[in-house]
Amino acid sequence: MPELGKLALAIALLLAIYSIVANIYGARRNAPDFVASARHAIWAMCAMVTIAVVTLWTALMRSDFSLEYVAAYSSTTLPTVYKITSLWGGQQGSLLFWTWLLSIFTSIAAFQNRRRNPEIAPYALAVMAAVAIFFLGMLNFVTRPFDLLATIPREGSDLNPLLQNYWMAIHPPSLYTGYVSSTVPFAFGAAALITGKLDDAWIRTTRRWAIFSWFFLTLGNMFGARWAYEVLGWGGYWAWDPVENAAFMPWLVMTAYLHSVMIQERKDMLKVWNLALIGLAFGLTLFGTFITRSGVISSVHSFTQSGLGPYFLTFLIVVTLSYTALLIFRSKDLRSPAEFESYLSREAAFLFNNLVLVGIAFAVFWGTIFPVLSEAVRGVKITVGPPFFNKVNAPLGLVLLFLTGVGPVIAWRRASAKNLRRSFLVPTGLGLVGGVILFVIGYRHYYAVVSFSLCIFVVATIVAEFYRGIRARQAMVGENPLTALTHLISKNRRRYGGYIIHIGIVMMFLAITGTSAFKEEKQITLKPGESFQMGGYTLRYDGVTSSETPHVAYLRASVAVLDGGRQIDTMLPEKRFYKKPEQPTTEVAIRSTLGADLYLVLGSYDEPTKMATIQAYVNPLISFLWWGGIVLALGTGVTIWPTRVRAPAPAYAPGAREVAE
Amino acid sequence: MRVRARFFVGAGLIVLAIAYLIVSAIRTTSEYYLTVDEVIARQSQLGDQRLRIAGRVKPGTISWDSTTLTLRFDIVPIPDASVGPIKPVTAIDSRALRVICAGEPKPDMFAPDRDVIVEGTLDRAGLVTATQVLTSCPSKYKPKQAQ
Repeated sequence: MPELGKLALAIALLLAIYSIVANIYGARRNAPDFVASARHAIWAMCAMVTIAVVTLWTALMRSDFSLEYVAAYSSTTLPTVYKITSLWGGQQGSLLFWTWLLSIFTSIAAFQNRRRNPEIAPYALAVMAAVAIFFLGMLNFVTRPFDLLATIPREGSDLNPLLQNYWMAIHPPSLYTGYVSSTVPFAFGAAALITGKLDDAWIRTTRRWAIFSWFFLTLGNMFGARWAYEVLGWGGYWAWDPVENAAFMPWLVMTAYLHSVMIQERKDMLKVWNLALIGLAFGLTLFGTFITRSGVISSVHSFTQSGLGPYFLTFLIVVTLSYTALLIFRSKDLRSPAEFESYLSREAAFLFNNLVLVGIAFAVFWGTIFPVLSEAVRGVKITVGPPFFNKVNAPLGLVLLFLTGVGPVIAWRRASAKNLRRSFLVPTGLGLVGGVILFVIGYRHYYAVVSFSLCIFVVATIVAEFYRGIRARQAMVGENPLTALTHLISKNRRRYGGYIIHIGIVMMFLAITGTSAFKEEKQITLKPGESFQMGGYTLRYDGVTSSETPHVAYLRASVAVLDGGRQIDTMLPEKRFYKKPEQPTTEVAIRSTLGADLYLVLGSYDEPTKMATIQAYVNPLISFLWWGGIVLALGTGVTIWPTRVRAPAPAYAPGAREVAE
Repeated sequence: MRVRARFFVGAGLIVLAIAYLIVSAIRTTSEYYLTVDEVIARQSQLGDQRLRIAGRVKPGTISWDSTTLTLRFDIVPIPDASVGPIKPVTAIDSRALRVICAGEPKPDMFAPDRDVIVEGTLDRAGLVTATQVLTSCPSKYKPKQAQ
């Protein structure tokens, strides 16, 4: 069986090479047969990689420990679902999974463009195939998933217990989907540069891909945060670790890109900027893989460190240099006739939003690689931790939040006093009133007060937009408010989906503000029966019970939650001791309400005295982070759901008449 | 052209503001990140500064008091992996730092021969008073049978 996987990967590599040659030859000589043949080669490549994936999955399911990979990341006692997720539990498997996604997305792009974009599509597919060649080359020659062990062990060494968690089962695939699908808009951007077809066809063709990629990057980060929150047991969800930063940077740049392309579609401006952003987003996905795999930057949860670093670095440099060269080569064709007219315009708001997003990405990048830089320049490693990232990003985040309210509503070109008054007078008033009220009732955390008041401002601008839209429809078409609302959204999905996404973002800001400004933390050692106060509750420690399965031993503390003398809940934070590999893990107990989470960790237990150390956290508003994610997903769905009947021109397309205006 | 120039001024101001934020934050939040060898070499210059020290937990030196939550152990330099297969740290190695961390539960992944990052301050006698001990988690476990 392993031979089948090996063979499939070898054939896939050859097919990828062939598809590049046939695509470019076909496009240059105007020979559609070759382009069609290249397309078929891509589909065949996808089939081959699929065979390899199925082969590895089969081996995992059958616990075929003759395979080094299976022996290293699985075991006979591992639950089936984690046997499936073991595919991306280790390095070779995750690269194979990555390549699989890439071949699927390339195939879909080939199908979508079988009749469209005859000039740029062959080059775009060639670029994607080139990326596939890099990964297939790694799988064939450098880090092979089908390597065999000389002696077959009787039992595998199991998946890391920290990864045996459902959030961890879905976090890597989401992130990979986000990473890999950014290849499609990147490839079309590169194709536009190669062919000199520099109109916005490459943007329009890949608009859904870009949103798709951004959406999965968002999900991947959210799932990672949720995993960290539930599993790692330190009371937080984000620690600015290099690995997290590596996933966050492409998201920031992709967010900037999604906004700035609207300016190009509408005003034919920022062409170079958009091409640069998509190149940067793609480069950062490679950079992320490089720093997590190379060990150049030490991370607390570093992955398998291996010799992959130099390969990824080389590929990253080649991609960056050739793409930059293309951009410079085409720069004189990319000049835009249009110009900014006023600071008080949507173009300006979007431009500033872009600068801030890229600025945050740069700050994160700088903080992440600072140890490497300082060692190179001053000979000593200097690190910056979470305080650095929080200090820089808190003010920038607030500026961004403000622009979230301004950007979608302010007029194009130049906002008149009337437009400003109509769009912003009430929201600004509400935001200020909210801020003043918070101050008066005693809130003195200035960042938090500003943040909450900006949240009110943004929500008010969005609600006002919906309100005006509904009123306009009622007046024009005479619909009832609910019908008007559904029609408003369904006829301008891109615009109103965007507003819904913004609501989700505001909810996340609420959560981030609540947890960073008002988090409470307590560590206390107690005898059974003793209690302490936390977050308005009395928590009583009632002792520890232990139990055991062949796989794991448990220590479970029982903590009663009392509200004014009445017991309302029992929380059971655990320590688990996995037997293979021998390792204790923490299972936190979380009592979640909309206002705040109560979060308990069994820190330590002393058997002779029965004393336990409990770490308790109160995380205000954190549930808004997860709910915000759901709202955001909903908004994204509204935005990208395929349209059967072509809706009247999208809101940002040239010449579109906006219903609310 | 004047409008364009105004925009460059605006964008430039934003870029400068971001640069200022980065520089000032680095100045106030940076910490030395040193290996055990580097700490020993510069011991005299490092008094009272916050440090992050990367090292490996020396087996046989760990003491853990679960009533006072006091963890004591020695860290030794992490052997260079490129030299050969990773050897367990032997007692011959005299380059070690004593670490004491009080008031924090023992990290789950803490174990002999594990690589750790210790955050804390160094005193004149070479004792590291840690506020945090971070363990790096190996995502890969070598099968026991292979040894």
